[in-house]
Amino acid sequence: MKRHWFGALLVAAMVAGLATSPAAQELKVGASISLTGTYAKPGKYTQEGYLLCEKEINDKGGLLGRKVRFIIYDDKSEPPTAIKLYEKLITEDKVELVLGPYSSPVTNAASTVSEKYKKLMMATLAATTSIWERGFKYLVMTISPAEVYLEGLVDLAVERGLKTIAVINEDTLFSKAAAKGTIELAKKKGVQVVFHEAYPKGTTDFSALLIKIKSLNPDVIAAGSYFDDAVATTRQMKELDVNPRMYGVTVGGDLPEFYQLLGKTAEFVYGSSQWEKSLPYPGIKEFVANYEKMWNREPVYHSAAAYGGCQIYAEAVRRANSLDSDKLREQLLKLKVSTAFGDYQVDERGFQIAHKMVLHQWQDGKKVTVWPAAVAEGKPLYPTPPWQRR
Amino acid sequence: MTSVQITGTMLFQLVVSGLLAGGLYALVALGLSLIFGVMRVINIAHGTLLMLGAYTTYWLFALAGMNPFVSLVVSIPILFVVGAILQKLFVHRVVNAPELSSLLLTFGISIFIANVAMLAWSADYRSVEFLTGSFLLGPIALSKPRLVSFCVALALTGLAFVFLHRTKTGKAIRATSQHRDVAQVCGINVRRIDLITFGLGAALAGAGGSLVSVMFAVYPEMGQVYVFKSFLVIVLGGAGNYPGAFFGGLLLGLVEGLASLFLTAQLSEVIAYILLVIVLLVRPTGLLGGRA
Repeated sequence: MKRHWFGALLVAAMVAGLATSPAAQELKVGASISLTGTYAKPGKYTQEGYLLCEKEINDKGGLLGRKVRFIIYDDKSEPPTAIKLYEKLITEDKVELVLGPYSSPVTNAASTVSEKYKKLMMATLAATTSIWERGFKYLVMTISPAEVYLEGLVDLAVERGLKTIAVINEDTLFSKAAAKGTIELAKKKGVQVVFHEAYPKGTTDFSALLIKIKSLNPDVIAAGSYFDDAVATTRQMKELDVNPRMYGVTVGGDLPEFYQLLGKTAEFVYGSSQWEKSLPYPGIKEFVANYEKMWNREPVYHSAAAYGGCQIYAEAVRRANSLDSDKLREQLLKLKVSTAFGDYQVDERGFQIAHKMVLHQWQDGKKVTVWPAAVAEGKPLYPTPPWQRR
Repeated sequence: MTSVQITGTMLFQLVVSGLLAGGLYALVALGLSLIFGVMRVINIAHGTLLMLGAYTTYWLFALAGMNPFVSLVVSIPILFVVGAILQKLFVHRVVNAPELSSLLLTFGISIFIANVAMLAWSADYRSVEFLTGSFLLGPIALSKPRLVSFCVALALTGLAFVFLHRTKTGKAIRATSQHRDVAQVCGINVRRIDLITFGLGAALAGAGGSLVSVMFAVYPEMGQVYVFKSFLVIVLGGAGNYPGAFFGGLLLGLVEGLASLFLTAQLSEVIAYILLVIVLLVRPTGLLGGRA
C-alpha cells in the first residue's frame, strides 16, 4: 500500500516536471498591485494597463524570443504587504523583471526589495520626488512628480486674479509632496496660502477640517488626495456648504467612478491627470481602442501610465538584448521616446523629466481638459457656483 | 499663512457637528453597555456587528434601491438574529467568566467576521449616496444625512429605554443586570435574558451601522473605531449605567468636535484617548457613576 502511494507520487512528480519544462522558457514579470483597500480603484486600472501590455508583447512574439507571463498579486494597499510580495516574487517565483506597484507609499516600500536583489523596477505609478532622492540605482520613474500635480489649478487661479488658497492633504508620501508643491507654486505666483492641514490615511469625517476652511472662505481649495478621501471631501463640502471659487483634487477626480459615485455633486470639480485620451500622443488611438476592447471600459491615466511604462521597459529589454539590470538601467537612462502615455526621459537618478500633466474639470458629466491651453478641449466653467444655487 | 480665527459661528457649527456625531455614539455604546451590564461580557465584536448592519443597508440600497433609513427594518432584525446566534453558540460560555475570556472570545469572533467580510465583499470603500447636501440656518450648515441619522439614532435610543423601563422583558433585563443570582431566584430565566440582551445589543450596533453608512464609507474594518469610541463612552458614562451611555456619547461627540477646532486632524484623534486615561484616573466609575 505504502509502495503504491510512493509510486503514484513519483509519477505525479514526473508529469509535473514534464509539464513545467516548456513553461520555464517563459519570461516571468512580477508586480504587486492594490486590488483591494483604499487604492483599489486606481490599482485596478493599473493592473489592466499591465495586462494589455503583456498581451501586446506576446502578440508581437514576446521578448527576446520568449513568451512573457505577468504574475500580479494583491498588496491590499498596504506597503508592508507589498514588501512581502516582492520578496516572494523575486525569491520564490523567480521573476526576471519587476514592474512597480500602484501609489507612492507602496512603491517606496516595495523598491527597497527590488533594490536589495538588484532587480530593476520600472515604477509606473509613483510620483513622489523623495523616492528618487534615496540614491537607489535600480528604480526608474514613468509619471510626472507629485509636486506639479496641481500646477494647472494654481495657474488658472492666478489667471483669474484669485488671491487665497487652502491646502489639505492625506498624511502620506505622495499627498504630502503634492501639497508641498502646490504651496510652493502658489507662493511663487503670489497666491496667499491661508490654511494647510494634513489628515491621517483612512479619515472618513472631514467636517472639522472643512469648517475651519469655511471660516477662512478661501478662493481656492486644493486637496492632495486619493480616491476615497476625494469623494468624501467633496461630499462633505456640499454638506457643510463650503463654497470656494475653484476646488481641485490630485488623484481620484479623474476616475469615472468619481462622477458615478457623486453625480452632480462632482460638477465643477477640477482634477489633475497625467494623461487624457484626447491628447495628441503617438499610438494613443490604438491604445484606447485595444484597451476598450479588452476591458469594456475607457482607460484612465493609471491605465495609460502602467501600459506606457511597461512598453518602455520592454523597449529597453530589446535594445539591451539582455535582462541584466545594469544593462537595462543604461538603456533606460539613455532612452528618449514618446509612447501612448506621452514623453519619457529620465535624469541620472531615474527621475522623470519629460512627461507633462494636464488639468481637467467635470462639466455635464464629462471630463474636459482645461489646462494647459495648448491641449485644452474647452474653457473652465468659472466661478464654481455656491451649492445652494446648483 | 494666517491662522484660523475662532469665531462664534464656527464654534456653534462644531458643537452642532459634535452633537450630531455623539447621538450615534450613544446608540452604539448603549448596545455595548447593555451586554456588559447583563453578562459582564466585553464585546469586542460590537464594531463588526456594526459593519454587518452597514453592509446590509449598502446592499439593499445598491441592489434593490431601498431607502437606507427604511432598511433599518431589515438590518435590525438580521443583527438581532446574528447576535442571538453568537450568544447561543459561543458567548454563553463566557458569561460571568473572568473578563479576559470574553475579551479573547469576542476578539476572535470579530477577526473572523471581518475577514469573511473582506473575502466576500473585498476591502473596497463603498458609499451609500442617498441624502446629500445641507439645510442652512443662517451661517450654520446642518448636513442632511447627519441630521436625519441623528434623529433616527435618538428615536431608537429612546425606544430602547422605553423597552427597558416599560416592558416585562426590559425590566427583567435590568433586574438581571442589577443582580444576576437574585433575578434568577425571582424566577427570571437569565439564559433567555442573555440571549435577548445580546440580540438587542447586536441590533443596536447594526442600526448604528445602517446610520453610519449614509454618512461615511462602508468597508470591512469600519467598525473598529466605533468599538474604541463605545468603550470610551461607557467609561465616561459609567459601566452598566444606561443613561450614562447616552450622555457619554453626546459628551464624546462634543469633545471631539471642539478638540478638532484647536488641534489638527491628526492630533484631535488622540484627544479621545487622553480623555479616557484622565477619566479612569480621576473617576474610574464614570462621570455618572457606574456599577463596579
